[in-house]
Amino acid sequence: MKKAPSEINPRESPDLACLQSIIFDDERSPEEQAKTYKDEGNDYFKEKDYKKAMISYTEGLKKKCADTDLNVVLYTNRAAAQYHLGNFRSALQDVMAARKLKPCHLKAVVRGALCHLELRNFAEAVSWCDEGLQIDGKEKKLLDTRVKADKLKRMAQRDLRKAKLKEKKEQDQNETLIQAIQARNIRLVSGAAGEDEDSASEGPGALSLDGPDAENPCGARVTLDEQGRLGWPVLFLYPEYAQSDFISAFHEDSRFIDHLMVMFAETPSWDVEQKYCPDNLQVYFEDEERAELYRVPPENTLLQTLQHSRYSVKALTPAFLVCVGSSPFCKNFLQGRKVHQVK
Amino acid sequence: MEAAAGGPSMRGTVDDGAEAEAGELLPFLALGARADLQAAAVRHVLALTGSGPGRALLGRQAALLRALAELAASRAPAPACDAARALVNLAADPGLHEPLLAADPGLLARLLGRALDPQWPWADEAAAALANLSREPAPCAAVMGVLEAAEPGEPALERLVRALCTPGYNARAPLHYLAPLLSNLSQRPAARSFLLDSDRCVIQRLLPLIQAADSSVRRGGVVGTLRNCCFEHRHHEWLLGPEVDILPFLLLPLAGPGDFPEEEMERLPVDLQYLPPDKQREPDADIRKMLIEAIMLLTATAPGRQQVRHQGAYLVLRELHSWEPEPAVRVACEKLIQVLIGDEPECGMENLLEVQVPEDVEQRLQQLDHHEQEQCEQEQQVQEGPALP
Repeated sequence: MKKAPSEINPRESPDLACLQSIIFDDERSPEEQAKTYKDEGNDYFKEKDYKKAMISYTEGLKKKCADTDLNVVLYTNRAAAQYHLGNFRSALQDVMAARKLKPCHLKAVVRGALCHLELRNFAEAVSWCDEGLQIDGKEKKLLDTRVKADKLKRMAQRDLRKAKLKEKKEQDQNETLIQAIQARNIRLVSGAAGEDEDSASEGPGALSLDGPDAENPCGARVTLDEQGRLGWPVLFLYPEYAQSDFISAFHEDSRFIDHLMVMFAETPSWDVEQKYCPDNLQVYFEDEERAELYRVPPENTLLQTLQHSRYSVKALTPAFLVCVGSSPFCKNFLQGRKVHQVK
Repeated sequence: MEAAAGGPSMRGTVDDGAEAEAGELLPFLALGARADLQAAAVRHVLALTGSGPGRALLGRQAALLRALAELAASRAPAPACDAARALVNLAADPGLHEPLLAADPGLLARLLGRALDPQWPWADEAAAALANLSREPAPCAAVMGVLEAAEPGEPALERLVRALCTPGYNARAPLHYLAPLLSNLSQRPAARSFLLDSDRCVIQRLLPLIQAADSSVRRGGVVGTLRNCCFEHRHHEWLLGPEVDILPFLLLPLAGPGDFPEEEMERLPVDLQYLPPDKQREPDADIRKMLIEAIMLLTATAPGRQQVRHQGAYLVLRELHSWEPEPAVRVACEKLIQVLIGDEPECGMENLLEVQVPEDVEQRLQQLDHHEQEQCEQEQQVQEGPALP
């Protein structure tokens, strides 16, 4: 039979079916039957039908025949079929079963090394190669696999070192930032509702600079420049029109008016009354705890304002309210609320 | 390997009385002798081996040497250990090689057998004795001969390399001294031939041992072996290529924490990238010097030089130079740097030694150099003394 035996229809090819029934006759010894299954599996393997090959080998192993060498080959070949099916762990199990019967079976060792390589167990792969090379010091496949596995192992070690260094660097940067903020006595508050953390009283790192607290809509973060000055991501809210502006890096020594001059050089599109000019604008912050407002002179710097005893930075993104002082909206907005004037 | 361990020592004066006394030890060293007396006798012999005259005395007592060799193979732990150590000390003395081998012609074979026996508790002592013996060419050749005869099917050095490279090969002995033994053997072309066989994986298994933290003897022996292998010019391309990739392994112990900018870092070999801030350099100056010598050998050919440059050696050596406390090593480092930045100029490399020196100053500097070299050599000679501490 040149072709691998596939499903044979007894009606179409009675001779073939007859032959097959002879070959697979249960009266033959287990060894003979197992050998037939092995051959069948090998034929499927040659045709790259790895699933069918695996099944054949399994049938052969089920016979539990007494021929150890045959079983070793069945396990090893099934491992190869599993390997080509991408079932590397199953392949490894088969290889180890083969080696249990015959530790020096070189093909099993080679297959095992290849499996470990695919599973990215590089140290194991090298180790198996070394074991195999003890059996045959010149086995080409083992030599090649060892080189590959060793190189990949060393690259993985490098990646680990790189990640570790990066993590350490970030931690150090965060540390420095937290310390800078604390040194300025700026009160930080977590973004989550109802949570209050006074960073002035707690130890360093009480507020993490990673995670949701540090995230704002544009992903900008607090930074420390070479002169040791902080730059903050700042939100300007315009309650009159439910609009907002986001300044990604507001230098702590720059003044509100400096930014407003630039931002409102032309009145924004939502400013239908065209009244939002730098001279008209008033800046407020809200003391949420007491529900009171504080008016900030635009000539103040960001740092001065952040350091105000009643100011809390929420989610590491200072926010301020801006409206036109003389407008009806503003008068309405301020009505019934306690408003303080910041010096 | 301490020379003297307990027992009365006989130092300095050696006379006929001493010879006679030594001879009287003989019956107690016999294999069947009473255990406590035997142990004491061996200890006495061990003490003798701690001094030059003591060793010379023993060298004249063939029967005693033979008995000692027998005891080193004994199952009884105390005499076997001390006898083994006595052999180590005797072997350290080149003048004693002939008497030793004359007294016990099968000594080398038996020492080898014990050194490579996974069950033998004094295997490292046997290895140390062999390491000492193999420092001389004749015993070295003889050891090689024994190895070749041992297992005809297997290459002579394979068992030795395996014992050295397999962790836990001998659960009771660390086997560090197999490394200097291998180093001595690698002086022979046949040994290098095996180590450098590109159809096998031999030298590659030695490379990780360069970082063996637990023993400078092991590290030194491995680096010595590698340096000797680097004499083989024809194998340089293979050694520097991906199948062996020897250079990063040689550079790693010379590299410090190295905080390089990202661009420079990514150009280094993988093994030298992102080393942690607490990375230590090889603590033993002699080993550092051998590493530099090995790399220097790899720069013998133009393509080799290219490869060594390309794989980031200059960066590591530059940092090493500013750190290196030992003058002799610093000089070796400078010479290698000179080769790397030498007549085939590559742009972007700083010339560490680029200084316009006026002629008279140049002469003075050369004189100082010469003086420094002499001093270094003197220091080294004092250190070299007895082969093993």
